[in-house]
Amino acid sequence: MLRNRFCFFLLLCGVLPPLSAIARNVDLATVPSRNTVQLTIYNSEDLTLVRETRAVSFKQGVNPLQFSWANTLIDPTSVELQFRQPKAGLELLDATYPHDKPQTLYWNVQSDANREATIEISYFTSGISWKADYLAIADPDEKALRLESFVRVNNRSGEDYENAQVRLVVGTINLVEKIAELAKLPVGQVKDGLKREDLQEIRQKAARMMMAPAAPSLAGAAADAAAEMEAPKEIIKEGLSEYFIYTIEGRETVPNGWAKRLRSFEATDVPMRVQYRYRPRQYGEELARLYLLRNDTASKLGLTPLPDGALRVFRANGRDGLSYLGVQPLSYVPIGDKIELNLGSDPAVVFELRTQKVYRDNLWFQIRGGNVYRKLGDDGLKLELDSQVAGWDEHTVYQQQIRNYTRKPISVQIRRDYAGDVVFRSKLNPILHDFETVQFETEVPASGKVGLDYVVIARQGYNQKQSRVELQAGETGR
Amino acid sequence: MSRNRWLLYPLSLVLWFGALPPEALARIKLTTLPVRERVEIQLDHPQIALVEEERIVPLVKGVNQLDFSWANTRIDPDTLVLRILAPPPDQPLEANVLSVSYPPGETALVWAVSANASGAARVRISYVLGGLGKTFHYRALAGRDEKTLELTQWLRVNNNANEAYDSAQVWAGVGERFEKPLGLSETKEVRLGHFPSVPVRKTYTCDPVEFGYLDGARDKLKVPMHYVVKNAGGSLGKEPLPEGKARIFQDDGKGGGAFLGEDRGAFTAPDDELKLYLGLARDIAVRRTMDRSERQRIAGNLYRYDVTLKYEIENFKDAPVTLDIAESVRQIRDAIRGGDNSGLDPEWRLGDGTLHNPDPEKSDADKLLFHVDLPPRTPDGSAQKQVHTLRLTLNNEW
Repeated sequence: MLRNRFCFFLLLCGVLPPLSAIARNVDLATVPSRNTVQLTIYNSEDLTLVRETRAVSFKQGVNPLQFSWANTLIDPTSVELQFRQPKAGLELLDATYPHDKPQTLYWNVQSDANREATIEISYFTSGISWKADYLAIADPDEKALRLESFVRVNNRSGEDYENAQVRLVVGTINLVEKIAELAKLPVGQVKDGLKREDLQEIRQKAARMMMAPAAPSLAGAAADAAAEMEAPKEIIKEGLSEYFIYTIEGRETVPNGWAKRLRSFEATDVPMRVQYRYRPRQYGEELARLYLLRNDTASKLGLTPLPDGALRVFRANGRDGLSYLGVQPLSYVPIGDKIELNLGSDPAVVFELRTQKVYRDNLWFQIRGGNVYRKLGDDGLKLELDSQVAGWDEHTVYQQQIRNYTRKPISVQIRRDYAGDVVFRSKLNPILHDFETVQFETEVPASGKVGLDYVVIARQGYNQKQSRVELQAGETGR
Repeated sequence: MSRNRWLLYPLSLVLWFGALPPEALARIKLTTLPVRERVEIQLDHPQIALVEEERIVPLVKGVNQLDFSWANTRIDPDTLVLRILAPPPDQPLEANVLSVSYPPGETALVWAVSANASGAARVRISYVLGGLGKTFHYRALAGRDEKTLELTQWLRVNNNANEAYDSAQVWAGVGERFEKPLGLSETKEVRLGHFPSVPVRKTYTCDPVEFGYLDGARDKLKVPMHYVVKNAGGSLGKEPLPEGKARIFQDDGKGGGAFLGEDRGAFTAPDDELKLYLGLARDIAVRRTMDRSERQRIAGNLYRYDVTLKYEIENFKDAPVTLDIAESVRQIRDAIRGGDNSGLDPEWRLGDGTLHNPDPEKSDADKLLFHVDLPPRTPDGSAQKQVHTLRLTLNNEW
């Protein structure tokens, strides 16, 4: 089985002294094995809550238990013991962290009778992580795609987890200290503004919000295993507060050092459309090609938010082959929100802005006084005003040229930012995306081209009264 | 299959994957080695090579493990995709990928695949492979009259991926797909396109901004020559011409080709022009001088400038040519004003010089391009000097 780094001992001492008296070289111990293990892994922090149950026989009186976790990344302040069955008749008297045995603690448990009990030990560990990733394969005609979502669990905790129920938490939580750092410290050296008990309470509270009882689907796991053909494991998604929990159906073994990737969901024939966008603030100075879809039920998605993860995009070439289109990080997508996949520029679409003409009018001068001149021998006077250009309107006539060499008509959306007091005049039916950003759209036929004419009139200097873009319908001028 | 680093092992063991750690399986596995049935290399992405290999994998009913490893190669493991292709109608085998496991410290992974019956499944494994690249290059053979040329497009596939392919169908994003073996550290060169009798225009251009002066003290401009091929018409214009080095030859009339030079051709979309630089024309002399630069105050600090540029042009060739004269209005404005102090775009109007009809397709608010026809030298060997003027009024400058 595992290269176990956890030891759990029920110390069998003839006469049970309190744990403070345990300081001997010859001991006898039994090692109750794990009955169940549940891992709840957070993707926003290096944090996993482990809950394991073990069956332990208690004698009437005080029972010492030793729990140690050498070479693992457990936060010692988070280790907690609870009695699951029976809940009454057992009492945790105290916990001791001995100074001479690192990564070890002792519990004294008072039992009012000889009995077998199921106890639960929970703790935080670092080193187990999960992340989502996605695979999108578009149809050759780019009208629909198949979207697969995966979760990958990575175990670098130093401990093997066999047959564990795995739960993955989507959402952010607050931690006041890093578990990996706490794991290196003896409990007595945990220093912070918060007391150890407070830390423990905060973490347990945060974790319990997610911890609720195990997912109901577990009962069916054995039956599924016996089915004629094993289906990919279902991942049950549940919302809780601001979080989302994915529970992987059945049990998983994740040995230390291994990573495991499971499919979270698959949706086929997800409707999508292609749009080309020029948005320099968002995509840089290129016409970006995007796949647009929605995380909603109409799109055969929308059962769960999509956690952060890399999304790789391919396109089927119609001959069983694929073309690699790119990879992009997908930020958390709530249910109902849109998904925009930026595939970069398309060499088959040429996007050029041509400045056709520049002229200025509506010139205003600022008078700063005057000078009077007289020529020697002449009685006449000449007055010259000292004036400087203080305001003007700058007209710049543009043509946005788009050539489409693909075999399909394309939809193009253009956003341009104009700082200052600007008039945007055209017949393009533009809208204002915001006070300084003009947006307009066009369709370009397959193997066709368009030229979009507009003039930008920038009111400069004294003429600038506002900071806004005004849209005007009309010709581009002279 | 050379010294193969790819290993695909279907483990013919019916196992509940979660019941045993995969590392334990690795020691007792019984393996078959499904060979590559077919390989496709997709080089259509500008930077990335996608390799797809098809294999027939024997599966048993239940859960199978496929062990895929790629030591000493640069497969991007995050891009690995296993797809089970549709089975033939008479062998309906249904199979699903259940999970992927990544063993520590190995360039390998293990797919858990379930099957509803025993049989063979055709699978496609796709991955992005580093070290596999492509370049394009061209050979242009111009006719004696330099009116047409024969353009040949070549693809070079450079295999530094540390893996050999007995046979691979390659697609470079343009041209036809082809099937060739691709050996280890091998470069394969394939003719992708052949475009005979492509119309070509030989241009002579002077442009003080782009090409500068040949002899500044004597105001003599450089006159570079180009072959200009429009990616349109005939067999061209259906696809872009990717960037690549072009070697240029001219038919020497004796069945061979005289080497004229080489240039790097830029990516050329359909309808765009591919310009190949040939060198400087020494038989066309162009002297450019500023004949007039006058400033007139309109009001306050507002001025108008009137500028005349004069070009004295001689063609010492025994054939007529068309000279392209390019100018940047901004550069002219900055020259007469001693630099751009205002930050304004120039507002200009063409005057009544001999150059007053710029090419509308190739001119804009800053750049002007004029075509001037030059006769050949006279029979006595002397060139007829042509004088052209460009008159510009720059308005609203301050």
